Amino acid sequence: MTVQLIFLAFFGAAAVWFGIVVFRTHSMVRSALALLFSQTAVGLMFLVMQAEFLGVLQIMMMATEMSVMAIFMVMFMMDPGGMGAMEMTHQKRLSLWSGGVGLVAAVAVIWLADWGPTVPDIPGAAEQAADLGRELLGRSMFIFQSAGLTILTAMVAATMVAIAPIEESSK
Amino acid sequence: MSFLALTLLAPLLSGLAILVLRRASEVLALMGAALGLIGAIGLVSAASGSPVQAVLPGLPTMPLLLIATPLAAVLSLVVATVAGFVLTYAAGYMAKDPEKARFFGTMLLFVAAMQALVLAGDWVMLLAAWEMIGFASYLLIGFWHGRAGVASAATRAFLYTRTADLGLYLGAFLLIGTAGTSEISATLATTGTPALIAGLLLLVAAMGKSAQVPLQNWLQRAMAGPTPVSALLHSATLVAAGAILLIRVTPMLPDGALFVVGIVGGVTTVVTGLIALAERDLKRLLAASTSSQYGLMLVAIGAGAPVAALLHLIAHAAIKSSLFLGAGVFQHDRESTELQTLAGAGRARPGIFAGFALSALALAGIPPLAAFFSKDAILAAAMESPAAPWLLPFALAGSVLTGAYMGRALKVLWAGEAGPARASIPLMGLGMGVLVVLSTVLGFGFGTLEEMLGVEIEKPSWIVPVMGLAVGLGGLALGWIFAPVRLLGPLSGPAQNGFAVAGGMDGLVLRPAMAVAAACERLEKRLYNAVLALGRANLSLGHFARRADGEGIDAAIFGFVRRTIATGARARRLQSGFIHRELALTAIGIALIVAVLLATLIFS
Amino acid sequence: MIMELMIALTVGAAMFGTGLYGALSQTNLVMIIMGVELVLAAALVNLVAFWRYLHPEEPAAQMFVLIIMAVMAVEMTVGFGIAIARFRSRGSVEMEEASELKG
Repeated sequence: MTVQLIFLAFFGAAAVWFGIVVFRTHSMVRSALALLFSQTAVGLMFLVMQAEFLGVLQIMMMATEMSVMAIFMVMFMMDPGGMGAMEMTHQKRLSLWSGGVGLVAAVAVIWLADWGPTVPDIPGAAEQAADLGRELLGRSMFIFQSAGLTILTAMVAATMVAIAPIEESSK
Repeated sequence: MSFLALTLLAPLLSGLAILVLRRASEVLALMGAALGLIGAIGLVSAASGSPVQAVLPGLPTMPLLLIATPLAAVLSLVVATVAGFVLTYAAGYMAKDPEKARFFGTMLLFVAAMQALVLAGDWVMLLAAWEMIGFASYLLIGFWHGRAGVASAATRAFLYTRTADLGLYLGAFLLIGTAGTSEISATLATTGTPALIAGLLLLVAAMGKSAQVPLQNWLQRAMAGPTPVSALLHSATLVAAGAILLIRVTPMLPDGALFVVGIVGGVTTVVTGLIALAERDLKRLLAASTSSQYGLMLVAIGAGAPVAALLHLIAHAAIKSSLFLGAGVFQHDRESTELQTLAGAGRARPGIFAGFALSALALAGIPPLAAFFSKDAILAAAMESPAAPWLLPFALAGSVLTGAYMGRALKVLWAGEAGPARASIPLMGLGMGVLVVLSTVLGFGFGTLEEMLGVEIEKPSWIVPVMGLAVGLGGLALGWIFAPVRLLGPLSGPAQNGFAVAGGMDGLVLRPAMAVAAACERLEKRLYNAVLALGRANLSLGHFARRADGEGIDAAIFGFVRRTIATGARARRLQSGFIHRELALTAIGIALIVAVLLATLIFS
Repeated sequence: MIMELMIALTVGAAMFGTGLYGALSQTNLVMIIMGVELVLAAALVNLVAFWRYLHPEEPAAQMFVLIIMAVMAVEMTVGFGIAIARFRSRGSVEMEEASELKG
């Protein structure tokens, strides 16, 4: 147990640290990369917690997404390199307080609640995947289908939103 | 029945026809008068048997009644006769007047109303006819209303008689109330205090209409009207209405009322006789004389001999109307009725003057002319009445004065410059002549009259005719020889002023009445202002209510609205459109919901 | 008291706070999306920790995680599509200027 604990603590700290870096750095690319590392750390935490499928999924997905985000960053940011010293935040105090209050409340709940005894028996990875598959195509079929539909809708919507409108005057 | 209709309808319809057609007025007038006369003669012959009656619909319990008793028939004949010949005279008198259609129409309406009065069988008809003759008199006196003083004379006449008519109304209502019916003959059975009070009230009415003291002034002022009007209305018919009323009502009057009647008549006889003697205008002299003669008639009624009064009334009608017609001829000649201007006018027209003189002598009581018999009857009644010490001196003094002023008038008309000879006017001469003849010969008809009426007048003792003759001749001589100033002596001043006592009617009645009217107007103005103030108070109350509603209620409501809008505006600031704000709100909202959920979980 | 569970949950809480701070304080739309990603990742961590230490026999927890991942992806997709459209019409994706929905 201790090994799991140490790795959990390490990767957790890494995730938190990189999360903070996302918003402290001035460079946009660095912020995107920091987010990438944070998400990867989260994926590694999954692996530590013996949820292999989820961990791998997380790392793969987040890697792709963050790269795309980095590209978008460069496209849309005023100062992608962060060389300028412009203040890019607003309502800082409110946000700090919200974050702080959220953190404190959650921590209070965590540390004051009684979570019950540990369950030591974990099914193996293959068994987990098989169970997940059966769950997916069995009881949660409907959820999965609607999720798929939602993804399709989102793809179409995003494409439509992103397509430039045809200029009538240039005929 | 048909004679009754003829007597009433002939003058009425011809009067209306004249007023509508406005042409051929003399012809229509004379036709109407002639038919009326025929009707009256027929009535007299019919009524000598039994009274002729006609019932007309009137008020619900009081039908209108027309009765031709022998008395009423005789009076109707008198009215018709005098009316007929005065209208003949008027055809000549008004020949050159442009408005003679109005004149003849109103005269005929008056005749119809007078016939209705004389033939009335119930109080309602009598009241209506009474008012009608008063109104016709007003119209006729004010005929030449363009001239100065005429309108006020007509109004004064109307108001005097109208005020006195209150007595008639109250008396009639009293009698109808006590008797329960409006038939005159039925109400005459009243006795006791109601009879006394009613009698005095009716006396007041008679005083007004017959120009007795103190209401005699209107008759003299009424002389502002045309002479035919004076001849018909103010000598023979309208002023006779008062005497006629009292004659009809005599059976009901108790002794006290009769005494008052006699005293009033006596005082009037003397006072108006003195006024007549002091007068400087011929027509006004004749008017005062009329009052005096009616005073004598009231003396006769007061002495308890209404028949004597009736006989004198008939005689006086013929005499006075012919006197007035003669005065009218002289007025035509000299364009004025002042005695100074008329001096000697009689010389220029000997025929007319002869007629005038005959009537004057008849009035003074010279036998065998008409008034001799009636005056003797009055003196006899006065002598034999219980109130002889009062009534007889009045009657004798009145007779003396009658002779005096008639003598004076004759002297003035005869003594003076004759002036140029004048053409005779046939119509005027005819009308006057017939009446003069009547005034001469009527005395002989009194016997048949008494038979018809069913009353017997005792032959008076020999002293009465002697007294009458003495006072008549003495009066005439006095008037012829002496000037009135010497005769009257200290009384001539007041006599010329009409014996105005304590300021006269002007001071006693007019000024207090005007003061009361002014006070009423002030009161009314104050009431009006009070009502206006009330209205203004109401208005201000309304304004206050509106203001309260506007400022109070509306302000509250709109203030509430404004505050709601302001609150909404403030709440709108939440909708900043900024995503970060929305996110912040979302986060806070979620935190709140979670807190509430947890709280319910923990504390449930 | 399961120490690993506590740590994992604490990590999740910290990431949630950080992500919330970022989502509320950043002016740029893309940064806001990144903050939301962090919050969702925190949720994922919590879920997996609960699964691992309290109910490992339940595959439905992993199902939940999959769905959240799908939601993350979808949200990013649509969000970037909107960012493109906004950039095209306004020339920037600064949320300070985006007050069209005011009122």
